[in-house]
Amino acid sequence: MKLHQVSSLVVIAMLALAGCGQPPDATFSSNREKLAPLLPDARKMVEKALEENFGTPNNLVAWEKFKIDYGAADPTADDDHKHHRNPGWRLVDGRNLYMQHCVHCHGTAGDGNGPTAKHLNPRPRDYRQGVFKFKSTLGGFKPARGDLIHILEQGIPGTYMPSFVLLGPEKLGLLVDYVRWLSIRGNFEIRLAEELAGLGATESDVTQEVQNDESKKLQRSDAIKAAISAASGEVAQLIEREANDLAENWEAGDLPENAIVPKVKRHAPTRESIEKGRLLFLSQYPDPKDPDPKKKTECAECHGRAGRGDGPNTEKFWEIPKSNPKRSYETAGLHDIWGHEQKPRDLTRGVYRGGRRPIDIFRRIHQGIPGTQMAGFGAALTEEEIWDVVNFVLSVPFEGKHSAYPTEVEEQKQAEKKDVAAAQE
Amino acid sequence: MVGAVAAVASFAVAPAMGWWFPHPGQSLSPLGQQIDDLFYLILVITGVTFVGVQAALGYILWKYGGGNREKGIFTHGSHTLEVVWSIVPAGILLFIALYQMDVWARYRVKSRFDPQAIAHPIAEVTARQFEWRIRYPAPGKTLQDTPQFDDLYTVNDLHAPTGRPVVIRLKSEDVLHAFYLPQLRVKQDAVPGLVIPVWFQCDKVGEWDLVCAELCGWGHYKMRGQLTAQRDGDFQRYLIELQQSQFDDGVRVANAEGKPADE
Repeated sequence: MKLHQVSSLVVIAMLALAGCGQPPDATFSSNREKLAPLLPDARKMVEKALEENFGTPNNLVAWEKFKIDYGAADPTADDDHKHHRNPGWRLVDGRNLYMQHCVHCHGTAGDGNGPTAKHLNPRPRDYRQGVFKFKSTLGGFKPARGDLIHILEQGIPGTYMPSFVLLGPEKLGLLVDYVRWLSIRGNFEIRLAEELAGLGATESDVTQEVQNDESKKLQRSDAIKAAISAASGEVAQLIEREANDLAENWEAGDLPENAIVPKVKRHAPTRESIEKGRLLFLSQYPDPKDPDPKKKTECAECHGRAGRGDGPNTEKFWEIPKSNPKRSYETAGLHDIWGHEQKPRDLTRGVYRGGRRPIDIFRRIHQGIPGTQMAGFGAALTEEEIWDVVNFVLSVPFEGKHSAYPTEVEEQKQAEKKDVAAAQE
Repeated sequence: MVGAVAAVASFAVAPAMGWWFPHPGQSLSPLGQQIDDLFYLILVITGVTFVGVQAALGYILWKYGGGNREKGIFTHGSHTLEVVWSIVPAGILLFIALYQMDVWARYRVKSRFDPQAIAHPIAEVTARQFEWRIRYPAPGKTLQDTPQFDDLYTVNDLHAPTGRPVVIRLKSEDVLHAFYLPQLRVKQDAVPGLVIPVWFQCDKVGEWDLVCAELCGWGHYKMRGQLTAQRDGDFQRYLIELQQSQFDDGVRVANAEGKPADE
């Protein structure tokens, strides 16, 4: 054989090897942090429950327990949409879109740890806690479906989350349903692992039990067996309970009565309103009902007196919640439940991550921002007072600038008129 | 031979078929039409030259190749020929350079922009990794250099009125991007720290591409937007709707469901 024949054979062989091998099946990355303390058999229980009820990325399982539109079989679907003839096609379509647009940041399992995640600040959201920051619902309720769609449409200014508005409502709906399903899956994993840990199915529990055994006869293997049999007796019940609870939580998020809907209309951002908002922001507004005469909003503690997001709380070393033994974060400043440093918003920038509509800011103040230290003031303030704070917050970027707020412009004109009148006299 | 004839034939019919430009082939803006004309002019010049040179080369190969084994003669070359093929292309290049100046000036020289359009830019478009953030002035107001309390904000979907020149202020928040409207033949880099006025005129109502044409990072390929060209009245209505949704206070008095409309 001549040289060029040999080399072309080599090229063909290489192409055959590279092109025809099946890539390994995609997997949902598991929650290492929560599964690591468990005994291997307990870990397997969680993994089995996940695989049975949620499947793998290549073989999704639509668990009927949850009120998600998985897509009913459509026997009339054309050849381009063959998979629509099977039930669960919406989940499959949602997954395909997610793998195309979201996975590189948010990860296959929605753990916010895709390949690009480590380059981003703030980090992409980890959905597995089921906590979403920007929502229209009250306190502990899950976000409504529309809230997540709104985020996909608008993106999150000030972060790397771009807008996906051009995908159109149908695709956004598919994506949101898949994200809700992923969040439920991740949350289910955490809850089940925590429950099993609570039943004593962890390495440290077994070690402790052996150590504490006064007769010194307890074998480690027996202790493990006992712990696993206790766990396996309960696991079916736990799966049922947690799934029902999750289904209920997400359904409640969609109920109209759980949305924050102000009853009082926003009033115009007059000078009085902005000034009242400022006093509330600085906790200097008199509260007639309280013996301590100031309303305690304490916005400035985090956001700073000038609203620059540099309040005294950003310079403290905060204790890590639930840390045992107690220890503090390594860096000063506020942290969110995902363990990342969380800067209070610099209000002078005029960038509003959760949306700039007055209603968006009203909701942030009313119920706070879940997962962060931003508390809700819906109970402490009346709706009128919240609107005052909203008016103040929206006016901060224009303070002292030439492009003044309308009231300031008006006052300037008035003052000028007076000057002119005075000069004429 | 068949291949060569097919190539020349397809080259000859391509302009009429609109194969050179993105759908719908014709530019949607008057200036874009002129840019297309320039393109075709240069294409004809280079095309005729290319086909002529290739034909001559083929003829020489055919005439003097193959069985014809006569001994070649060495010549030092022809001074006249050298001068001719230097001066003729130089003349052609000079012609193109001078001929295109007017179109270029109309496209890029600010003093040649429509004064009405430059005085009232319709929007500020800020490119960032990886989306287009858009700021409009409130309906009836003029866009200011700095954000105003009543400005309107959207993302990725730039609306513009048809039938008249409009100006946008182009900015970048992070790295180099390029604001590219292929159907209008408009392409302008967005440079961090600069505010660059870009004008265009879309004569056809519809949704047209807006893409980033400067490699701006890993997500460059997905930095897509849309130009929604509307009649002036529709554009004004759009701004008013945008204003209503942006200053929404969520209060729904007459809504039996008690839920905001966006949910």
